[in-house]
Amino acid sequence: MASVARPVPAKDVEIRQRPNIASADVQLPAVRDYEQVDREITGTLSPTGAWYLGLAVAVFFLLTGIAAWLYQIQQGLGVAGYNPPVMWGVYIITFVFWVGIGHAGTLISAILYLFRAGFRTTIYRCAEAMTVFAVMTAGLFPILHLGRPWKFFWLVPYPNWRWIWPQFKSPLVWDVFAILTYLTVSTTFLYVGLVPDIAVLRDRETNPIRKRIYALLSLGWRNTDREWRHFARMYLFLAAFSTPLVLSVHSVVSFDFAMSLVPGWHTTIFPPYFVAGAIFSGIGMVFTIIIPLRKWFRLEHYVTLNHLDAAAKLALFTSLVVGSAYMTEWFMAWYSALQVEQDFFWNRIFGQWWWASAILYFCNMIAPLTLFSQRMRRNVTWLFILSILINIGMWFERFVIVVPSLSHEFNPWQWTSYAPSWVDYAILAGSFGWFSMWFLLFIKQFPVIAIAEVKEIVAPRLRTEHEHGIDVAGLHVDYERETPGEKE
Amino acid sequence: MTRSIPGVPPAGETAQRRALPVLPSASGDPGALDRRDFVKTLGVAAAGTALLGCSQEQVEKLIPYLASPDGMVPGVSTYYATTCRECAASCGVIAETRDGRAIKLEGNPDHPLNRGALCARGQAALQGLYNPDRYRGPMIRRGDRLEPISWDEALRAFAERVAETRRGGQAGGAVFLNQHESGAFPAFLDDWLAGLGMPPHLSYDGQADFASIAANRQSFQVSWPRYDFRAARLVISFGADFLDAWGPSVTYQLDWADARTDFARAPKLVYVGPRRSLTGLNADEWIDCRPGSELAIARMLMGDFTPAQAAVVSGVDAARLERLRAALEAASPSLVLGGGSMDVALMANAINNARGNVGATVLTAEPVTAYDGMNSPADVRTAVDRMRAGSVSLLMVRNVNPVHTLGRSGAVAEAMGRVPFKVSFSSIMDETSELCDLILPDDHSLEQWGVAQPLRGTLSLQQPVMNRVFDTRPTADVLMAVGRTDSALASRYAAPSFREWLLPRLPGGANGIAAALPNGLIAGNVEPRGATRLAPLPRLAPPIEGTQGDLYLVLYNHPLLGVGRGANKPWLQELPDPVTKILWQTVAELHPDTARRLGVKNGQMVRVQTEAGSVNLPVCTYPGMHRETVAIAVGRGLVRSGRYASAGVNALELLLPFEDRSGAPAYVATKAQVAAAPGYQQLVTTEGSARQHGRGIGRAMLLADIGRDVEHHDGPVHHKLPGDGDHSHLPGLRAPIAADAQGDLVHPEDIERGMYDPKHWSGMAKRRWAMTVDLARCTGCSACVTACYAENNIPTVGAVWQGAKLFPDKTGFGANILRSREMAWIRLERYFEGGEDGGPDFDTRFVPMMCQHCGNAPCEPVCPVYATYHAPDGLNIQVYNRCVGTRYCSNNCPYKVRYFNWFGYGEPARAQYAFPEPLNWQLNPDVTVRAKGVMEKCTFCVQRIREAENRAQAEGREIIPDEFTVACAQACPSRAITFGDAADDRWAINRLVHDERAYHVFEELNTYTAVVYLRKVLHQEPSHSPQRRLVPGSAADTGGGAH
Repeated sequence: MASVARPVPAKDVEIRQRPNIASADVQLPAVRDYEQVDREITGTLSPTGAWYLGLAVAVFFLLTGIAAWLYQIQQGLGVAGYNPPVMWGVYIITFVFWVGIGHAGTLISAILYLFRAGFRTTIYRCAEAMTVFAVMTAGLFPILHLGRPWKFFWLVPYPNWRWIWPQFKSPLVWDVFAILTYLTVSTTFLYVGLVPDIAVLRDRETNPIRKRIYALLSLGWRNTDREWRHFARMYLFLAAFSTPLVLSVHSVVSFDFAMSLVPGWHTTIFPPYFVAGAIFSGIGMVFTIIIPLRKWFRLEHYVTLNHLDAAAKLALFTSLVVGSAYMTEWFMAWYSALQVEQDFFWNRIFGQWWWASAILYFCNMIAPLTLFSQRMRRNVTWLFILSILINIGMWFERFVIVVPSLSHEFNPWQWTSYAPSWVDYAILAGSFGWFSMWFLLFIKQFPVIAIAEVKEIVAPRLRTEHEHGIDVAGLHVDYERETPGEKE
Repeated sequence: MTRSIPGVPPAGETAQRRALPVLPSASGDPGALDRRDFVKTLGVAAAGTALLGCSQEQVEKLIPYLASPDGMVPGVSTYYATTCRECAASCGVIAETRDGRAIKLEGNPDHPLNRGALCARGQAALQGLYNPDRYRGPMIRRGDRLEPISWDEALRAFAERVAETRRGGQAGGAVFLNQHESGAFPAFLDDWLAGLGMPPHLSYDGQADFASIAANRQSFQVSWPRYDFRAARLVISFGADFLDAWGPSVTYQLDWADARTDFARAPKLVYVGPRRSLTGLNADEWIDCRPGSELAIARMLMGDFTPAQAAVVSGVDAARLERLRAALEAASPSLVLGGGSMDVALMANAINNARGNVGATVLTAEPVTAYDGMNSPADVRTAVDRMRAGSVSLLMVRNVNPVHTLGRSGAVAEAMGRVPFKVSFSSIMDETSELCDLILPDDHSLEQWGVAQPLRGTLSLQQPVMNRVFDTRPTADVLMAVGRTDSALASRYAAPSFREWLLPRLPGGANGIAAALPNGLIAGNVEPRGATRLAPLPRLAPPIEGTQGDLYLVLYNHPLLGVGRGANKPWLQELPDPVTKILWQTVAELHPDTARRLGVKNGQMVRVQTEAGSVNLPVCTYPGMHRETVAIAVGRGLVRSGRYASAGVNALELLLPFEDRSGAPAYVATKAQVAAAPGYQQLVTTEGSARQHGRGIGRAMLLADIGRDVEHHDGPVHHKLPGDGDHSHLPGLRAPIAADAQGDLVHPEDIERGMYDPKHWSGMAKRRWAMTVDLARCTGCSACVTACYAENNIPTVGAVWQGAKLFPDKTGFGANILRSREMAWIRLERYFEGGEDGGPDFDTRFVPMMCQHCGNAPCEPVCPVYATYHAPDGLNIQVYNRCVGTRYCSNNCPYKVRYFNWFGYGEPARAQYAFPEPLNWQLNPDVTVRAKGVMEKCTFCVQRIREAENRAQAEGREIIPDEFTVACAQACPSRAITFGDAADDRWAINRLVHDERAYHVFEELNTYTAVVYLRKVLHQEPSHSPQRRLVPGSAADTGGGAH
């Protein structure tokens, strides 16, 4: 639910058209009425050839990953590139990567909702779906990294006659709870937000079977005031409920590292650092998804440059947070006066792993600094490139956390190296295939932009058309696809 | 754990040892199925059929017997005393057998030579017994293939051939090459040969240091005197690697450790040689002379040269030599040992004579007789020359492999081509046997009767410890059977088998033997074989200085693999070389500076070329090398000695056909051309960094500081924080922190309370199993590692097919090791201290590292499924069945002693299977063979602990202090490891944990380990300052491969 649409006074037209607007005030001037919203957004739901192609590619990658996993199950984990004592590798890196991505969705839909940040309106559905699928992807990795993945349910506290419970002191058990909770809540959140939109789809659907399914999913939504009142309360409650989860889940994930005594892991900064990094990576992924999407679906007048601009500021902010966390690690390595910590840190930054650290620092600290420039923030191409860099950088952030620590621990006799094998890469690619497959399926079944919320910021159609083509706000605005600031 | 069967035979002693009541069947009447075998076969078949009906699982036989022989209780071990025949020394071993299968070899505590210890090679005899590449029965050559035949046919063929040779009047041209052994068999063999008119056999041992033997024979008229290290004040070793494999080295391990830890009068050791061997690394000082110049230094000590003259020849600083001479003058008595060259050994003996050491430290009156009767390798070479000349009518070989050991330049294979008929009695395939026409495989030494004479006046009995694995026969029985076919000899060999022939001839007769069998020893002597020396003139090498090449070539026998006898035993292949830590690979060892000069780094290939041939090898830099030298270990790269033996490269390709004056092949005879070659082979090593980086893992203190309450600064600085436990407290070994973690707040210095209440219902909390490792005793020999492999069913992972899935493009031995996936629960970390400038003055710390069984274990709380937890008696338990394989425990382990089953090493159907039939017969039935995907680690031999507890309980008593010990401690030749209950003052360990040298590794981490290390003791101030390097260099800079 976005900021409430309110007419902009005539004297503020200039303000409105100034691009660098306050995020709460993001408007959709090119969207004129509900009918247009319904038409344009539901129009994106019809499959196209390109979509089929994309789905095929995603499924291909997924099958590759599945094949690699089956091979790994059959042969043993040895086919992955593990190099003890580097006992965790690509799978844990990728797990944390996807959990991190799963953060932006709830952040955008919940926290920004509570903060009344209007720019979230058009991107939140996309981000939420991304969250659910990213968490679904992430949740696979703790299982497929197991030596005996068929025993994964032993991490779940289920009643059994032997009275064997999981070790509740283990962060990995906390992980199970955190991930499952987060998956449940974010799925609920996504679904609840979808209900009015599903009702729209139900009403417009002609295929009787699909109509029946939509009818079922829309829970009999009739657009009554009472429903809206309950819906708004529910949504607010879920937003409030999810908000601490955003912080907790990745804190718990960071405990996987922070609760150990491995140099480079054993640090109290990890929870906030991981949360910031997660949000950063999530926003990066939102850009990676929404920028092609708004182009292909011709939704530039919904996801306007103003939205991207505002989101880019959030990316910049989180980048700075993450960057200062990196700097803190430098400080702590020095200030700790612990030789093990210093040796390890030196090796991470200047030694064996300098290249990974260099990628990390460039992608996550240096490249995002360009977002201080408004011109760059509104350069869609750059935002897309940057988002890819952020994704790479955040994957390498986890690489730099996981691998250099383990490869250079307390006992010098056991200092090693690490290189992933083709199985690691295939499963990594498979995770992208899995994620993309779900996302592609999603965007053709459900509106990728929240119809109901967009309608909230679009002025309702007048009963009768104004004879001079003046809209309800009294503004003479030609109907045009361009949005302010984009035409330069 | 399965041993708590009621009705266990009472065991008053720790090891119940019993004689084998009857000779294993099938010796007299092969092919016949006696009633017992019939019942067994029937029962197993019936059980298999019955089980098949109700289970999808593969049906496996739980125990080999259904109807077990009398007196054998399934699940209870029987112990037999016998003799190790892996090298000539003839140590006594106790073979543990379970349900008719030998599963473990341990040293015989009563044996005067090894006193309970056993080296890695001796323990690996089991893998010779169960080697999958043993000959499974007699074979005959048809065309160019060896085809199986029956024993009847084989014996007939052999007897015919012998008779034919005799008929042709060519019996005098027969040659019998026998693996050197002491005892009765050589005399028996000579007797048999003489009966047929054949010349005495040649007793050959490729791995014994014949140069020393020849020198001793000349100097002292004994093959090998005994040495008393405890009496010596200074030991100087000229290439005599008495801790590696020189002579009865297991004896020396213990002697040396005892001498060194008698701090008041511990001898100092100076090692002279171009390469710092394991013995060199244990020396206080290393004099890095040029190869071949040891003699000059020895003569300098003798007074023939001045230090300045010796310095010119050896390239060593004259002042150091002067110091050495002065030290020798000052020390009385001293002990000078020479090896590798007869001249040097003679000179060493002469120095001992001159210094009055003979009788004091060199005990010629009670010699080691194990080397008596050994022929010079030159004798063997002479026989080969005769073969080449076509004058050998019949060649018989038994367990020797001259085709390999005499090198390519020996051209033995070609010479054998000129021999009309060749018979091999070898039990396992090798290069020589593969060229023979008839294979009559011998029993393994653990399957047959015999006697060895390790020392004058001591006989060590050899008895079969189990039924034979394959269809083999003792060579002596075969010879007797052939003898019986000859009318002239038939009366001599009336006894049905060698056993009946042998026993009456031993002191005490058959009854005495029965009494002596439980401890395997008889006082007395057997008649030695007569002298059979062919006395050829050795082919002396021209002076090494005159040869062409860039670097001196030093070949040396691999301390674990010998010349290659151990090459087909995966335990030995997978056991890192104690010095270089290389496994499954042959490398060219170069000094780091030399490598830099050649422009090569670790793993880059060099081509080493002599006049005999050339090999391409990866470089392994090692600071213990003379700068003008390249060293290569001999013992790998055997192409036809079995599936494991082909790992690495055969360095004997480089051997020139020259001999030492003793007749031994001249391993140091030439320079070699060494040049960088294209290619790269990552070093197969277990070493990460060869430096400790100030972590205080292997610590040391000065001899002078013993007994003085000094503060040590060789570990990480610990900042004590409020609430910290007391780090200085030693066991007790309770972990107050762990108790705190349980919410049971106790005083941080209270060592009475652990994680469990002392009155825990299990009754186990009163104990705290603990271990001490005395670094002053540890020599780094790595016998403990093999003991652990044997006891705990640890898979070897380096074979080529086991790593094929890792690098599909390039497969080679050790692929899993390249990924650091070795499974050794205990490993020997070898750190260098000092010598950063490349100089010879560096100190070496050997640190056996195994699970520390922390009282406050980092691995325990992170396991999500409780697969690892803390037992009330202080053990850190790993439950394989519960493990799901998150590997978090390993990540959190500061010691990195947890090992993961990356592949199904225990599943026979897999390529990675580590125990191809019948190697799996050796598996310890008390220990799980771990499944794919689970974590494993040192258990403190929990099966032994529980066995002792169960036995005590069954006998209604408490465990007697030091009643049992763990496998590594048991095997340790230098007694560096002690195991016991640290909570009970009566155990020997309690004295050690409170030693002033005691420390914990990484105690700053509050892990409260159960393993206590005792500092190494430095006998002189290190020339380097132990500075901490804040910024570590790359691991490669110190001589080891980072991997």
